[in-house]
Amino acid sequence: MNTQQFLLSGWTWNPAVLALCAAALAAYLAAFRLHPRFGYFVAALATILIALVSPLEALADGYLFSAHMTQHILLLLIAPALLLLSLPRALSLPGFLRKFAHPLAGWAAGVGAMWIWHAPTLCNSAAASKPVFALQTVSLLAMGGAFWWQVLARRESERLAPMTAVLYLASSCVACSVLGIIFTFSPVTVCSIYAHPADSLGMLATIRGAWGMTPEKDQQLGGLLMWVPMCLVYLGAVFAQLARWFGEPAPAAALTRENA
Amino acid sequence: MNTARAALLLDQDQRTHWQLAWLSTVDHKRIGILYMLTALVFFAFGGVEALFMRLQLAIPNNKFLHPDTFNTLFTMHGTTMIFLVIMPMMFGFANYFVPLMIGARDMAFPRLNAFSFWLLPFGGLLLHFSVLAGGAPAMGWFAYAPLNETPYSSQLGVDYWAVALLVMGIGSVGTAINLAVTVLCLRTPGMTLRRLPLFVWINFVNAFIVILAIPVLNAALVMLLIDRRFGGHFFLPSADGNGGSAIMWQHIFWAFGHPEVYILILPAFGIVSEIIPVFSRKPIFGYEFVAGSSVAIGLLSFAVWSHHMFTVGLGFALNVFFSAASMLIAIPTGVKVLNWSVTLFRGRIRFTTAMLFCIAFLVQFLCGGLTGISHAIVPLDWQTKNSYFLVAHFHFVAGGGSLFAILAGLYYWFPKMTGVMLSEKLGKWTFALMTLGFNMTFLIQHVLGLAGMPRRVYTYPDLPGWGWMNMVSTIGAFLMAVATLLLLWNICVSLLNGKPAGENPWNAWTLEWATSSPPLHENFYELPPIRGRRPLWDFANPDRPDPPVGGGAADIVAPEKNKVSVTAFITSEVGFFGVLILAFLFYNAGSHPGPNAKDLDLLKTGIFSLCLFASSFTIWRSETAQHRGNLRAMTGWLALTILLGGIFLVGQGLEYWGLFKSGVVVGTNLFATTFFTLTGFHGIHVTVGLIALLVVLGLALAGDFKARPSPALAAVGIYWHFVDVVWVFVLCVVYILPRLR
Repeated sequence: MNTQQFLLSGWTWNPAVLALCAAALAAYLAAFRLHPRFGYFVAALATILIALVSPLEALADGYLFSAHMTQHILLLLIAPALLLLSLPRALSLPGFLRKFAHPLAGWAAGVGAMWIWHAPTLCNSAAASKPVFALQTVSLLAMGGAFWWQVLARRESERLAPMTAVLYLASSCVACSVLGIIFTFSPVTVCSIYAHPADSLGMLATIRGAWGMTPEKDQQLGGLLMWVPMCLVYLGAVFAQLARWFGEPAPAAALTRENA
Repeated sequence: MNTARAALLLDQDQRTHWQLAWLSTVDHKRIGILYMLTALVFFAFGGVEALFMRLQLAIPNNKFLHPDTFNTLFTMHGTTMIFLVIMPMMFGFANYFVPLMIGARDMAFPRLNAFSFWLLPFGGLLLHFSVLAGGAPAMGWFAYAPLNETPYSSQLGVDYWAVALLVMGIGSVGTAINLAVTVLCLRTPGMTLRRLPLFVWINFVNAFIVILAIPVLNAALVMLLIDRRFGGHFFLPSADGNGGSAIMWQHIFWAFGHPEVYILILPAFGIVSEIIPVFSRKPIFGYEFVAGSSVAIGLLSFAVWSHHMFTVGLGFALNVFFSAASMLIAIPTGVKVLNWSVTLFRGRIRFTTAMLFCIAFLVQFLCGGLTGISHAIVPLDWQTKNSYFLVAHFHFVAGGGSLFAILAGLYYWFPKMTGVMLSEKLGKWTFALMTLGFNMTFLIQHVLGLAGMPRRVYTYPDLPGWGWMNMVSTIGAFLMAVATLLLLWNICVSLLNGKPAGENPWNAWTLEWATSSPPLHENFYELPPIRGRRPLWDFANPDRPDPPVGGGAADIVAPEKNKVSVTAFITSEVGFFGVLILAFLFYNAGSHPGPNAKDLDLLKTGIFSLCLFASSFTIWRSETAQHRGNLRAMTGWLALTILLGGIFLVGQGLEYWGLFKSGVVVGTNLFATTFFTLTGFHGIHVTVGLIALLVVLGLALAGDFKARPSPALAAVGIYWHFVDVVWVFVLCVVYILPRLR
């Protein structure tokens, strides 16, 4: 299969994903009607579909570690943030969730998702087994939601103070960069399944040949994706927080909180 | 001055001993001046070294200097100018003016301040002592491996170089922690973070870069020293493939080195951000953007180091990502240039010497920035990196950027520091000679580089154009030397009979101008109310004050300074241990012959580790007891903590003893090198923690905590928890992870 054929036929029309997305769309419209923030919701659904239905998923499904990493970033960082932004009004968290809405829990969820799911065993089983992959997808969205809740909750009182949020985001960037650095320079394979793809689509020749993607390059690219673009997402959020801080009307003794 | 206020000030006679004792001073102003004088002395060293190099390069095929001498000069020039001139100069300004600008009486920890300063001349002496100890270092300031290793640099120069940088690095981290804590904890009422003068704001950001970046260099230096002194294998590749990695040195060095260039330039941004508005008679345009873009530069600076290594051959993917990330840095720096330019636009500009240097800074830094972007473009970088084009780029940023800003700051703040004005007439001559000399020296080096002249060479063949261009460059360097002598002459003449400055000769707006020149020992008699970013403007123009920033006069809830300082300190330690842990992972990923991690006794170490982890619990109990006022329980839990920490150390000692007995030493193989380095440095930290705990215990037993609870226990407690957390990582990485494979 060459690249063009693959881009046309590599779509995995997973009925569960499509049904859930349609249900979510219906639920959003039923709850909030057509709202200016609907655009964020559409973008979030589009992100999820790109991650789970497009040829990216076909590549992530055992072929390329870097595609898997892209999927990871979309599901953990981009989609949950867009979903939170799409909420037109403040939501009250149910009681059991409120316990998790602690900055340390949010930080651990956002950073831990990356570290835990890349332990070699889990990384391999997520690529090999459908139920584990489904669990991974749901957990990434949930952990991403818990992470971004601290920064993007609609109610000001539920968000971190701007300068604390800067620290929260910048330290997440560092924590993910470290993992990215390990992948980039690691002389050993992290997810061995990507080193020997099962080649169910007959794409391996194209990937190794026309794309020139060896397992080593693939892992390096995956590490770099986590190291640089992912960090830039956090840094972009840092600048949004700085803008929020400077634009804040009330004087904030903001920096005192995290050190007290 | 009324009598009540006079009573607050020390009696002049009581201070006479203090007046004499510059050696024992803990006053931030004197330490600031000491920093600057030290920088000046070493500037003379570094400058003369540069002049000798330019003399050698003035004509083709010159035999004026021996090649080894040239290499030595070129190593010492780079090291001196970066670590002993620009950094101390910037620290000097920050030391002197940050407390003044935020209305504080001194730095947060005056004695730590003195200690940090004295490490600097000590480090400088160590570095230069290498000349007497059998040969100065000659491997370049970047000390690339394996040239920095014993087989290629067998003399002691590299060791002195590494120890000197280690000593100065510790001093720099100390000063940076001090600055950060000062800004966080010692601001006068009304001086909220959103009203900070930009010089303070930028130095605050810079302090964090220093805290995070310098430990990375320190880690590289101790690894190098372990290689050289104990026969380690970090950076020395071997023929059988079981040796270290020379490229690893470059990665670690530039992971420090790229933030380092911002450590050199950010304070310069702070200086010009103060001076340009004052002499344009306008508030700075886009305060928020200048402040915010500093944070952006600070964060991005840690994510782009690989652009120093495009020519190493890291591969396509790495090059693409780091090319893109490096270009991003142009955005926040471009924002700043725009802010300064628009501040000048339609201002009533006063062309004082300080302002002239600021304008020159703008032009030169912009050029240096543009050639910087050209180095982010990988193919262009491949062509120009090893040529004089890069030398020109770097000196445009470090010289035209940092040095010109330092000169601007010197002319601007000299009246405040001494009480007399520098001569403007001599100043303008200095400016003219300096800018002319600078551009003669370095502008033409762009052309030389594009014409193919390689850098780091002691001489060159007589190719068309090379000879005369190098001659122009050499003449330019000597013009800069004349300008420097003129500056020194100006300082001497002005100190002897300069025009008295008065409190505020430039009609400036920040708080340092609200006191006498030079400021009295206690800094201020009284402070004007602070409602915005230009308190002295508001004070002088009550009818048309600036719009207030951040609402009413918000009072500052200062965090407890001991806790903040320990937090900042362990942040820097995270960088140090982070490098050592990553190095362990990297070097032990493959399998090497000889002892490896699987030979370690996990059970024994696990038991001793439990003691260490338990000590985190006991120190927490001790703090709780202190909180409740139960001193007996506090000392009891504290003693138990010390006992548990001691048991852990004994356990480590036993493990080392066992390894030594079976013949495993640092030099045995890569595993042994990385193992002893990582666990050894953790052990040193445990020992330091134990000493601190013993001091607290001693104070507690002596009854020091009876009167009031002391923050000391909580501060040491944070450090102790940190040491335990590090051990969690060490245990996982060294003992557990290798068994899983």
